Amino acid sequence: MPEAYLVGAGQSDFGSFPDESYRSLFRTAYEDAIDSVPNGLDPELIDEAVIGTLGVGGRQLGLSGPAVTEHLGLHGIPCTRVENACAAGGYAVRQAVMAVKSGMADVVLAGGVEIMTDVSGDSVRFWLGVSGETEWERLSGTTFAGVYAQMARAHMEQYDTTTEQLSRVAVKNHSNGADNPHAQLRFECTLEDAENAPTVAAPLNLYHCCPTSDGAACALVVSEDVVKQFTDEPIRIAGVGAASDSVGLFQRPTYTSIPASKRAGADAYAMADIDPTALDFAEVHDCFEIAELLAYEDLGFCQPGNAGAMIEHGDTARDGTLPVNTSGGLKSKGHPIGATGTGQVVEAFKQLSGTAGERQLETPTYGLTHNVGGSGGAAVVHIFERERATDGDRR
Amino acid sequence: MSGLPTIRAAASYTPSLRINADAFEQAWGSFDAPGIKSKAVPDADEDALTMAAEAGRHALTAASIEGEMIDWLGWATTTPPIKEEALTPRLKSMLAIDHQIPSLSVTDSTRAGTRLLLEAPADRTALVVVSDCPDGAPDDQLGHAAGAGATAFVLAPNGNAPITDASSYESPKPGVRFRQPDEKHNHGLDIGQYERRAFIDAIAGAGESITTADADAVAVQAPNGKRPYRVADSLGVDPATIKRVETVHELGDTGAASVPLGLTRALSDDCKTIIGASFGGGVGADVLRIEHTGAVPVTEAGSTAQQLSYAAYLRRREAITTPAIDTGAAHVSVPTWQRSIPQRHRLVAGVCPNCDALVFPPDGACLRCHELVSYEPVDCWTTGTIETVTTINRGGAPPEFATQQAQQGAFDVAIVALSIDGRSVSLPAQLTTTAGVGERVKPVIRHIYTQEGVPRYGVKFAPTNAER
Repeated sequence: MPEAYLVGAGQSDFGSFPDESYRSLFRTAYEDAIDSVPNGLDPELIDEAVIGTLGVGGRQLGLSGPAVTEHLGLHGIPCTRVENACAAGGYAVRQAVMAVKSGMADVVLAGGVEIMTDVSGDSVRFWLGVSGETEWERLSGTTFAGVYAQMARAHMEQYDTTTEQLSRVAVKNHSNGADNPHAQLRFECTLEDAENAPTVAAPLNLYHCCPTSDGAACALVVSEDVVKQFTDEPIRIAGVGAASDSVGLFQRPTYTSIPASKRAGADAYAMADIDPTALDFAEVHDCFEIAELLAYEDLGFCQPGNAGAMIEHGDTARDGTLPVNTSGGLKSKGHPIGATGTGQVVEAFKQLSGTAGERQLETPTYGLTHNVGGSGGAAVVHIFERERATDGDRR
Repeated sequence: MSGLPTIRAAASYTPSLRINADAFEQAWGSFDAPGIKSKAVPDADEDALTMAAEAGRHALTAASIEGEMIDWLGWATTTPPIKEEALTPRLKSMLAIDHQIPSLSVTDSTRAGTRLLLEAPADRTALVVVSDCPDGAPDDQLGHAAGAGATAFVLAPNGNAPITDASSYESPKPGVRFRQPDEKHNHGLDIGQYERRAFIDAIAGAGESITTADADAVAVQAPNGKRPYRVADSLGVDPATIKRVETVHELGDTGAASVPLGLTRALSDDCKTIIGASFGGGVGADVLRIEHTGAVPVTEAGSTAQQLSYAAYLRRREAITTPAIDTGAAHVSVPTWQRSIPQRHRLVAGVCPNCDALVFPPDGACLRCHELVSYEPVDCWTTGTIETVTTINRGGAPPEFATQQAQQGAFDVAIVALSIDGRSVSLPAQLTTTAGVGERVKPVIRHIYTQEGVPRYGVKFAPTNAER
């Protein structure tokens, strides 16, 4: 099967931008991605586009893919919208990889976009809830904060995880996000700040929840046949894993794990032929801080029940053994639903191409991105490998 | 008099929320409902139909029968949650009563409960449910008096408390107690002597032919805590027999449920000769006599009383809250909802014929073996255990629950495990009050939300440790 490579990635700022449209935000991300390609990339070479978006607010639910690609002048190229809730962007990247690996395309634009802050609070809560299990879970009176809070409560009951450990995730991610010029909540917070925030859905407080965001992000995925045109230091998409599960938490056999993440992670590791110890960093889906702790366990960073200790020991800090969410994660960088998965790939690209600025890690080789839809109805994991000049004979 | 039914069992249900007269006095400088010390207040997700379901289920249990054994259903209230649309079909569903049996609902006045008791067939097994939650303006005596409660009677020829005599009276006297279309508040004209005479004359007229003087309990319509005693002379009874079973002092004006609640209390108190004397605007009255000759199982259900502040009371009454913005909300179409009614009303799960797993809702592939199967229905209406739970704080509720949250504040949402015949199944549900992981909870019918003008009812769970 042909290899697929990541040759560029870019994003808009994530935040609240009442003067921007989903088209203008996407344009910013697209131009940033094009500019990031080391040897340049002529947009005329793009064969295909895949766009992830939920369509929060109900805007352009149909044909939202062509609506942005035609706006960019990518006239006539086939474009498909991918909707998998908060994993839409990650799945857009996966579709791009599949298009390249199938031989149908050599250059694919994978993007994501969302506008969430120009509608009322009730409307946002409506849209945040439509990706949950609607008929029973939603109509028990809960949105995602409530469902993840139920997971947090179960994890606390089973493993003695503490709210302080949840707060430490927020402190870490804010610390990272403070160094990310694209981050929405670009400030550091203290443990005391994170511990004393107002409760949203017990045991989760405001600092345990990511913000709602506007933003867009794009990644450029190319085939091994053309990769040399665009870069001399390619980043191989070494592993891809994805899985689905029951949409409702109550329908799953466990509340302290996301089985779709485990399966997606296992498949990605197998495809990349590595295990978690090979990773140099990871961008995981921390829509709520319990989700980051679940990801540690589901992706094999630690044993079940040990995620709390892992954050407490600083293992996932930027100077830890496995830095997690150097971008600031969803918590600090922001969570524009459709753009989140591609936004994670942007951070992977920056770290592996040495362009992450203040938060640059020292010569990473393997990075992982992990994007979850809903409370675990979908998950997608990518593993990226920076191919050094010495091992470039892989192509 | 022949053809009157016999009570076999009874149950009452009252909401757990209470407010004391003192709270009104502090807010208004006076409390305008004489003789009432406290009153019951329906929670934001309770109404006449949910209280009817609760009382009805307890009455069936008290009678040791299943809903399918009921041949006739009657429901009385002055506060149906929908003005035009029969709600007895939903009540039948909630109580697992055969949808083909005849039913009747009476809603026109506070006499509705006794009228139904007198309309019920004597030769079959019938269920008569009376539930009411009247309301009035916050600044008038009807509003101050307004309470809530429900009672249900299983009637059957083999019961031990026959209604042995009854009589009715009607006279055109408008303006005593009425409500305009589209209004939620009852009105009276506060013409003191006119109203009092209407009350006394109607009950005296109905009671004229009924032997009452030997009664050891007299349940009288109670729009406030003084009015019932005004008919003691007319009925020739000792006021102490009225006081013995009067619920108005603690529950407030329970409308159509006023007299039935008193009758239930009298049966529970093992009174032998019981009189019921109802009154309704229009005006009319019923007086009936019950001879309690043997055992009549009675359940008085409800949870431990929770006191409300006056501000919290106003929130429950929607007096200081505004409806949520219409965002469209989670759209579960009415036909989709209708297909899930066995699950919403009775917690019907399904057993997978392939792997024996219990699945809820029983639809689609089995959650354990993932085979597409047809499930064997299983009634899971039973107490369960909280597996995990969160509290949804103010502002965190989805928009379809924003109005409820404005009325009652934070609420708990749990995943509850139910075990039936060695199998277990989990489902998400709201709790009626806060509870923790591992606590036992029981299912209750509550209003879930209203969409497109159609109120949707389903199951919530109430902690069993809060039961009275």
